Amino acid sequence: MLSDSILIIFIAVFTALLSEGLSWLLIYRTEKYKRLQAEVEKQSKKLEKQKESLPDMSDKNHKKKLERQEEKLKLNNRELSMVKMKSMMTISFAFMALLSMFNSIFEGRVVAKLPFEPISWIRGISHRNLNGEDYTDCSFLFLYILSTMFIRQNLQKILGVEPSRAASKMGNGFFTPPSQAGASPFLK
Amino acid sequence: MDNKKKSNSPSFAKRFSQLSSKALKSKSVWEDKDEFLDVVYWMRQFMGIIFGLIWGVLGFKGMFAIISYCLVNALFVYVYSVSFQQIDEDEYGGVSDIIKEGFMTSFSSFLVFWIVVYSALHA
Repeated sequence: MLSDSILIIFIAVFTALLSEGLSWLLIYRTEKYKRLQAEVEKQSKKLEKQKESLPDMSDKNHKKKLERQEEKLKLNNRELSMVKMKSMMTISFAFMALLSMFNSIFEGRVVAKLPFEPISWIRGISHRNLNGEDYTDCSFLFLYILSTMFIRQNLQKILGVEPSRAASKMGNGFFTPPSQAGASPFLK
Repeated sequence: MDNKKKSNSPSFAKRFSQLSSKALKSKSVWEDKDEFLDVVYWMRQFMGIIFGLIWGVLGFKGMFAIISYCLVNALFVYVYSVSFQQIDEDEYGGVSDIIKEGFMTSFSSFLVFWIVVYSALHA
């Protein structure tokens, strides 16, 4: 059981490294990505600073100026998401194939014993492809997802490729509906 | 040009050692918000791993173990920020924003280490 768990953690490390490597090859090293990323970071920080230094939002001119800057930032953010999207989809397909391969290798195998009984909607993952009614049995998929969650996030942080807090706070990616434009945290 | 770029963005190892010396000193002066939030983030990751190992070795089980981890984790970050570093909470968008920083990642690392150690020693 211990060897299976450790193997799964290594698989998660390997896939996270592979995924970041592919992302670098297809996205992070491109000039367009670098330019847009720098632009978004700069604009997000500038907007945040302006908002902090100008608390008086009743001034219409300031409000309009901020709205204009926010609109510009949103456009850049969407363009950045578009640059990422194509390559991310390719990477996702490759990883789905890899995941189904590992899933079939570990099919029906209890890789660990959970020290808690998962709630019903998590059992679909934690008890996937396992027989029996003992819900403390842990499947490959559950441990793999948990390992990936912390390994990938930390790896991105170490490599410095995660979006900055200011840019994340804006949260205006390609999938954000335009109707949320007025619900900006900067224009409350 | 390249050198200038490198000096503006220090390597992770260099930044990590700078931050850890600041983090261990009480009432440190933080250059920007991100610097302090990075300290909270990495502190949380270590806490997730260490608490996961402890909970696993001690054989803690069930909902009590999960809730106690969340409470200890949040309390530790709160005491560190407000008492040890004495930061201005409002500057960081309130205590809740500091407590949320890196929580999910640290929770998943806690779960992985707890499950693996518990399985190895108590299952």
